[in-house]
Amino acid sequence: MSFEMWTEKYRPQSLHEMVNQKEIVERLNSFVGAQNIPHCIFAGPPGTGKTTAALCLAHDLFGDGWREHLLELNASDERGINVVRETVKTFARTRSIGEVPFKIMILDEADNMTGDAQQALRRTMERFTETCRFILICNYSGKIIEPIQSRCAPFRFSYLRREDHDDYLQSIIEKESVKLPDEGLNAIFEVCRGDLRRAVNTLQAAASLGREIDAETVYSVVGRANPVNVQEMITVAMKGDFMEARKRLRDMIVRYGVAGSDIIRQIHIEVFRSGLPDRWKIKLADVIGEIDFRMTQGASEEVQLSALLARMREAGLEIQRGS
Amino acid sequence: MYASWTVKHKPSSLSEIVGNSEAIQKLSKWVNLWEKGIPKKRAAFLYGPPGVGKTVSVEALANDLSMELVERNASDYRTAEAVERFAGLASQYGTLYGRSRLVLLDEMDGITGTADRGGVRAAIKIIKEAKCPIVLVANNAYDPRFSTLRKYCLLIEFKKPTVLQVVKHLRKVCGREGIMADDRVLKFIADRSGRDVRSAVNDLQALAQGKKRLAYEDVSWLAERDRKEVIFNVLRTIFYSSDAWEAKKALDAADVDADMLFEWIYENVPRHFTDSRDLARAMDALSLADVYRGRIRSTRNWSLLKYVYDFMTGGVTMARERSKPGGWIPFRFPERIRIMGQTKGLRAMQSSIGMRIRRRCHISSVRAIREVIPYLRIIFENNAEMAAGLAKWLDLDEDMVEHLAGGKRQAGAITKRLAS
Repeated sequence: MSFEMWTEKYRPQSLHEMVNQKEIVERLNSFVGAQNIPHCIFAGPPGTGKTTAALCLAHDLFGDGWREHLLELNASDERGINVVRETVKTFARTRSIGEVPFKIMILDEADNMTGDAQQALRRTMERFTETCRFILICNYSGKIIEPIQSRCAPFRFSYLRREDHDDYLQSIIEKESVKLPDEGLNAIFEVCRGDLRRAVNTLQAAASLGREIDAETVYSVVGRANPVNVQEMITVAMKGDFMEARKRLRDMIVRYGVAGSDIIRQIHIEVFRSGLPDRWKIKLADVIGEIDFRMTQGASEEVQLSALLARMREAGLEIQRGS
Repeated sequence: MYASWTVKHKPSSLSEIVGNSEAIQKLSKWVNLWEKGIPKKRAAFLYGPPGVGKTVSVEALANDLSMELVERNASDYRTAEAVERFAGLASQYGTLYGRSRLVLLDEMDGITGTADRGGVRAAIKIIKEAKCPIVLVANNAYDPRFSTLRKYCLLIEFKKPTVLQVVKHLRKVCGREGIMADDRVLKFIADRSGRDVRSAVNDLQALAQGKKRLAYEDVSWLAERDRKEVIFNVLRTIFYSSDAWEAKKALDAADVDADMLFEWIYENVPRHFTDSRDLARAMDALSLADVYRGRIRSTRNWSLLKYVYDFMTGGVTMARERSKPGGWIPFRFPERIRIMGQTKGLRAMQSSIGMRIRRRCHISSVRAIREVIPYLRIIFENNAEMAAGLAKWLDLDEDMVEHLAGGKRQAGAITKRLAS
């Protein structure tokens, strides 16, 4: 009996195994051929292969002992730039043995670093550029300061295309002998929209139920894995019950650890999906954008988002009054 | 007979005074200079917060040196003429009976006028011509009105004693009154007084007079009451006053933790601002206050704190335009603080599982909590075999397994498979 998270078990090991992002893979392959890479920024939505591409690149570049030449740090977990700087110093001090004269540092969630930390990182990148190449991974390259961007080769990852998504899941279900009829596959794509990590996690959780994975199974897994319902929260607020809306918001943040940035992105999507009059959508977009910005500066995401809920309540009641 | 303990147990000698040994030494050295003739500075200016022993030190010093002490206070300074009236006192070194004299001008904060007119000018004149030591006492020697006066004075700063020093004094008072009190109680009183010895002794008397024993339970209720009362008063002013800056003043006066007060305001605003537009505006003010809190956090520039205060007090006050005060609405304890307390264990557990996932899955622990744990829960609740495999792969301990399995029974099924 051996089980792993399928996201790891079926993570491609080499660039040749990657099913998507064809142009990116091609460019990375040319780096491998040249035995040299520049500093890179991998930007794009979650679950689109950024970390995988970085790991594969290191694997193909260094061969068997690739792990020795690679260091993975995560900006959300490592407290402060000092940790990053010290780690890089120690890591980059020893020269690589072998044909490739540098090591690779993957810095994940780099867009979570403050401006100051990024400035410090920039100096570190310059100082160790001979011995260490950086791959910065982020959702939005816009959050990376200009001087770092200009020193890096940019790569933009996009959501998986339907065929790539399907191919990848098909290869998993064959190996795991799981039954996934088309309706299940459709449901997974509809819900995860090309976020492969989410798709594979959904598939594995559904498979653990031990029955055929039809659409209903997928929806029930997704519903339980995401007890967070932004749409309902908005409805409650706009009908006038601010206290209840704020309570739901608090639950999402405190109990389920949902990031404020994810919640506000969802709010934005839901507002535009809703049946609100168009001029209200655009009015709300202004408020949402303002709060989105304030969240990057403020101390508490809950305070910022509940200020947004209060605005939505105001809008909701005004629309009801028929203005 | 009722006697104030602050008077009854006032130190009669310098050796009994707690704290400020440096200041006291400086003072007595200067007074002793007068034995050899008139020194360059004919006055000493003692300043510092209330209740730290400025006046008491002068009195004790006069007592130690058997000097005649002539004391004047605020009520004697009302006009320049009133001040001039005691000029004669300072014009001779000794008394008729051969004792040297010390003039104490207490509570100088209450004097009228400036260097050019009124009481202050009269005081400067007296000092210039003084033939005996004059000691001035005030809370703030750096009041602009004193700028010329200061030049003629030896400045001596009195600081707040430490809590331990206050406790030491309280213990002595207890000893003399025959009261048993443990140090925790005395420390509480000392803390609460803000290291103001006079106010601490007054509090002690109020709490302990007539008792043989003073226990912590006798005093602890005060803390909670004090804090709530203060916070409620500030909230009332912020929510219902019509003057935005009255709210800000209320906060300045209150000496409550700004973050704590923020939580109280944030919790209670929706109950007191019922109109939807008012509420949106009040929440917007809190949002801006929070932006400045964030900026303080990231730049460590605490001078931005005043803007936090502006928005959380005046900003909220001004949001009220249409909401009518709707009868009595109680203030509620901040739910957010309660929840953070209740979920502390849960969050710690999730975070340690997140760290295990991070080791295996190339994902930060924060994201693992959001993106992996929910799926693990489903697996652990439904498929003991797969769960056991994953528990082994992730190196989870029993508590973590139980947490993910959502109960002891399922957790038992999983660990049984792990063992086999």
